[in-house]
Amino acid sequence: MDVLPLAAKSLLAAMLLVAGSAKLADLASFAVAVRLFVPVGVSRAVVRWVAAGIAVTELALGAVSLSWPAAGWINPAVFTLACGFTAVSGAGYLFRRGQSCRCFGALSRRKFDAAAVVRSAVIAMAAAVAMSRVRPALVGIDGAEHLFLLLAGAVVAFAAFAAARSLAIGRKMGLEVR
Amino acid sequence: MRIPVYLATAQWALLLALGVLVIVMYRHLGRHFNLAKPDIKLGPAVGSSAVSFEYARVADATVQRFTPGHGQAALIAFVGPTCPACEELVTALGEARDNGELDGVRALLLISEPPSYLQISEPFRTTRLEIGEILANATLEAYRASATPVLVAIDGTGVVRSAGPATTTGEVRAFVQACLVPVAGRPVLPVLSAEPGQEQAQESTTITEDEEVRLA
Repeated sequence: MDVLPLAAKSLLAAMLLVAGSAKLADLASFAVAVRLFVPVGVSRAVVRWVAAGIAVTELALGAVSLSWPAAGWINPAVFTLACGFTAVSGAGYLFRRGQSCRCFGALSRRKFDAAAVVRSAVIAMAAAVAMSRVRPALVGIDGAEHLFLLLAGAVVAFAAFAAARSLAIGRKMGLEVR
Repeated sequence: MRIPVYLATAQWALLLALGVLVIVMYRHLGRHFNLAKPDIKLGPAVGSSAVSFEYARVADATVQRFTPGHGQAALIAFVGPTCPACEELVTALGEARDNGELDGVRALLLISEPPSYLQISEPFRTTRLEIGEILANATLEAYRASATPVLVAIDGTGVVRSAGPATTTGEVRAFVQACLVPVAGRPVLPVLSAEPGQEQAQESTTITEDEEVRLA
């Protein structure tokens, strides 16, 4: 049964890496989604900084969760972030239904709808499962393995960034589905 | 050597993430190169009345109005100079024009990018077909051109006779026939090209649907 929390933790870490880097690749579009939830008077620069902050937080939490699995604070932090996503999904469903959430940057065209609320609830549940206690020996990895996971995570993040970047450019030029 | 459990699960998770990314990119590439059917319906409904719209003619930068009907059949192509499938369509339309197949048909290429983008594409730069810049998103919405290329065949009475993605000469020929031979009450049945090298035409969505009508 120890495998379940570890699998949930790894999958969430990989998801955060992909989502964070895809958002960074098309920050302007993600800022448009963030603007849906901030007051009208807030300046564009502030919205952009908030968008960048969310993306970087996801990326950092994903990287730390993946490569330092024994860190005690990381699982509650990921769970808090997942609950935040669920709250935003719920608010989006109630007030901004049908608008694009840009949850995975240009990689996805998902919108705020009931399915999005269910998806984010599942993510929050996975984060809760990942907080389950596991034997310390199972997450005990040495320095080289920390580094290996960090590098592997960086490769995934870079792949997501490159993919999202090219799709974002393609859409802006009108050659893809708008 | 025994691999730590966490390391093994993390490796599988990363592999899964990369696999998902590969699938996402292949799906987008498939749509981009017109290899896969878009997950949305492109083009206005066959049998509906085409709407008029304004566009900026690239050749002289004047605003023109396209009004369907009035006895003039028309082929409207929603294209983009950065889209490889659109380059194929523009080339096919150019060949049809040079062969006299577009006689009696008004062919119009519509782009949503600035006209300066035309310089980056050889077929767009050299085509002698009329090119217009779309002035309002309402035009894209009315013609359901949310992706490119989309070709719309409009007959002389202003009714849409065929609509959808097209790239090959055979497909263009089918669209031309569709707009030139109106049949009351139902879409016109295009005649497929029997020429060698036109096999792709039979795979297009529009023609397959028309073939089904013919068989029925």
